[in-house]
Amino acid sequence: MTFDRDARTALADAQLRGALRHATTLFGERRRAAIADVPDWEGARDRARAIKDETLLHLDQYLEQFAANAERAGARVHWARDAAQACDIIAGIAEQRGARTVVKSKSMASEEIRLNAALAARGIAAVETDLGEYIIQLAGEEPSHIVVPAIHKTKGQIAALFAEKLGMEPSDDVTRLAAAARQALRRRFAEADLGVSGVNFAVAETGTILILENEGNARLTTSLPRTHVALMGIEKVIPRFADLEVFLRLLPRSGTGQALTAYQSLLTGTKRQPGDEGPEELHIVLLDNGRSRMLTSPVTRQTLACIRCGACLNACPVYRQIGGHAYGSVYPGPIGAVLTPQLLGMGESSALPYASSLCGACRDVCPVKIDIPAVLLHLRAQAVARSGGPGTHRLLERLAFWAYAAVMVRPRLFEWVMRCARTLHILPPLGAWTKWRDLRPLAPRSFREEWRRGLRHEAGR
Amino acid sequence: MRVSLFATCLADQLWPAAAAGAVRVLRRVGCDVQFDERQTCCGQPAFNTGYRPEACALARRLIEIFESSGADAIVSPSGSCTAMLHHYEQLFEDAGWRARARGLAERTHELSAFLVNRLGVEDVGASFAGRLTWHDACHGLRDLRIKDEPRRLLRHVRGAELVELPPPGAETCCGFGGTFSVKYPEISVAILDEKVDAIERAGVDAVVSGDASCLMQIGGRLSRRGSAVRALHLAEVLASTT
Amino acid sequence: MTDSDAARREILRAVRENLKPRGIAPGSAEPVQSTADPGPATEGPQGPTKSFRAARGSTARFTERLAAVGAHCTVVSGEAEAAGALAGILSGAGARRVAGSDAPLAQRLLRPLGDRLEIAAGESLSRDELFACDVGVTTAQWGIAETGTLVLESARERSRLLSLVPPIHVAVLSTRCICESLGDALARVRQGASHAITFITGPSRTSDIELTLVVGVHGPQTVHVLLLEET
Repeated sequence: MTFDRDARTALADAQLRGALRHATTLFGERRRAAIADVPDWEGARDRARAIKDETLLHLDQYLEQFAANAERAGARVHWARDAAQACDIIAGIAEQRGARTVVKSKSMASEEIRLNAALAARGIAAVETDLGEYIIQLAGEEPSHIVVPAIHKTKGQIAALFAEKLGMEPSDDVTRLAAAARQALRRRFAEADLGVSGVNFAVAETGTILILENEGNARLTTSLPRTHVALMGIEKVIPRFADLEVFLRLLPRSGTGQALTAYQSLLTGTKRQPGDEGPEELHIVLLDNGRSRMLTSPVTRQTLACIRCGACLNACPVYRQIGGHAYGSVYPGPIGAVLTPQLLGMGESSALPYASSLCGACRDVCPVKIDIPAVLLHLRAQAVARSGGPGTHRLLERLAFWAYAAVMVRPRLFEWVMRCARTLHILPPLGAWTKWRDLRPLAPRSFREEWRRGLRHEAGR
Repeated sequence: MRVSLFATCLADQLWPAAAAGAVRVLRRVGCDVQFDERQTCCGQPAFNTGYRPEACALARRLIEIFESSGADAIVSPSGSCTAMLHHYEQLFEDAGWRARARGLAERTHELSAFLVNRLGVEDVGASFAGRLTWHDACHGLRDLRIKDEPRRLLRHVRGAELVELPPPGAETCCGFGGTFSVKYPEISVAILDEKVDAIERAGVDAVVSGDASCLMQIGGRLSRRGSAVRALHLAEVLASTT
Repeated sequence: MTDSDAARREILRAVRENLKPRGIAPGSAEPVQSTADPGPATEGPQGPTKSFRAARGSTARFTERLAAVGAHCTVVSGEAEAAGALAGILSGAGARRVAGSDAPLAQRLLRPLGDRLEIAAGESLSRDELFACDVGVTTAQWGIAETGTLVLESARERSRLLSLVPPIHVAVLSTRCICESLGDALARVRQGASHAITFITGPSRTSDIELTLVVGVHGPQTVHVLLLEET
């Protein structure tokens, strides 16, 4: 993972930074306006978090209940311990049904497991149908934001892309660009043998899966092809059908500032009559891929409460400057900084937990009150506790903190060290500070010297 | 009211006017202020970088020092260091230490919260001529929920005009984040520049905050950018009688 | 045992193992008390009269919200008026190929127009014909006043594709079926009987390109609601 380098690249990209500033500001404003409408927003957050906590504490039961009810309604439920197995299952389903084209609606889990590449390796073409995902698929790029994956691209860049890949007359008109995508994709929808979707919520009580969207591509993906595969992380399950209300109240407002997105599809098994509309088969793939490991401690367990709204990205001062690509994974921003190291392991992504000023803005906007700074601090402590961290940097840092602790428990030594620094003008090499910021000079007298010299006895004035 | 000052290592060595100002203001409103010279650092840098055993050692020491103070309250001119003390409980598994940490946290207050919420004082008899804007330091704002208190205090300062940065300007992070500021300096400064741009647009004489760490970050960039805007600690302004 | 079964065992075991340190025994489910969110309409001190007030105000709220989300609404009383309004909508849109669902109400409203337009019954359409339609006419089973949402249940409205594929969707809904909140609607739909329940709030949309709103991406660009006032 090359966070440092990618962050610097992003910072040098003025167009990207302008786009990020615009998007995060706008989403922030829309979210604030949308939640002002809700009489008890805090109560809703608390309720949602309580539901998630309850679910995670009994995740095995709720998963089994969900699977049983989904199967009773006609779905086939598959379990995947990791990305490879999930890809294998889905590719297997596609192959068995002779599917050559697969249409996909938005699924971060499918990007996490690199499904498209796995399908391609088996000769199956997967077409992204969410407009933002379609754009980045054509461009061969990764998403840079959870909700608006192509936010880093200007309409000019998209026009050039469509001209090249779709043979479209270059046009800056956003409506025409969207229409071109609609046109190109409609044929794919009509012809597709198999549709792959994500899942926003899976209801244990009824075996229902709920998919939210604005464009209509998820509805097309899940109703036109004869086979529908729904991929979900195991943390997506919630206990009761009625629980959907509080999440529907929180998610669209947090993510896009809408009271509701244009469509919610609540799918429970397969069609009841063979002659009815809809797929013949519904396959639900339950994905672990490292999620069960996060259940161990309450601090990390809350990572699994995430409902993928993207509000934390829009609130984060770091994300605002560098965007999603620098995070090097499908999950960017604050949630990405805690989720990716836990899914991939700290060895892969040790930079991420440190790429935060711990300001807490993410915690303020999270609809399920995930304390992301607490998880970041937990991961940092883990990084330090792992013996044999990479490189001398870690060794120097350990020495520095050993020295720091040794000095700080000895107040006279502390004073002496600081007095030396003051009189001899010795300061630790802080080029990383002074390249951009002046360093405040050490005051001629420290506070404790002033105290001893008279402040202690000064009368109140 | 007997107060034991938690000066913070940063204010002690790099921004003594903040700690001295806090002493003077507290005395002016009638508190008896002590300073236990055994104190050094609360351990926040170690805790935030993942060095928990080191942070724990410093925490135990500070708990013992303040327990022995016999003061009614421990007051600090730093939101982040006060918040650190409020998090001490998490550092310990032992129930005894957790209880002691909790006890300390209950008695520890950030300066503006102490003045306004505990003492019920908003006018501390200060005078300071100039246009000021306030920066909400993150830990104070989000961990300790300090928002209104400094503003009330500043509005009673004779001669001072308080200008609010257009929302969400005052609440946005300055980009310091402790070691983040030197681990990821480019990102830190990118965040900082938006803050400094907003401060310069506000046409103020000074930016005021309750955390010396933020002031170092913001002040350091203001001066590097050749700005005449000063960075001042809340305690300096409140102690001012000129 | 299949690989999926093996994975199932592994995952469930991993979940149980990882939860153990907290001292929570599997099987001791302690459900959160009353997670049903009463919703804004039932919060507040109105008391027993509130449901009546809600019923009276619901239609007004619903039409207001429909407009806010970019859907059109025509209130009619009786089927004759509805058929007339439908004719107006279709001619106004310059529609030539119209498909109606097999729901009896949709069929009745479209029948008088058979001589002027190409009317097809939804389930008899081939894929190509479906994609060539200008307008899809369906019923809706519920309306949600809080959000201006239409609810279609597959057991009663068998043609969801007509509410999705043609660029114009006309939905016929009775005012008696307007409920106040999301919570109400979730309590009323029957997911046991309907494998697909669809909530529709306004036309299809995206802001994926430079955050500029475009209406009518994959789903309809225009949504008309014919609100049938029934006493």
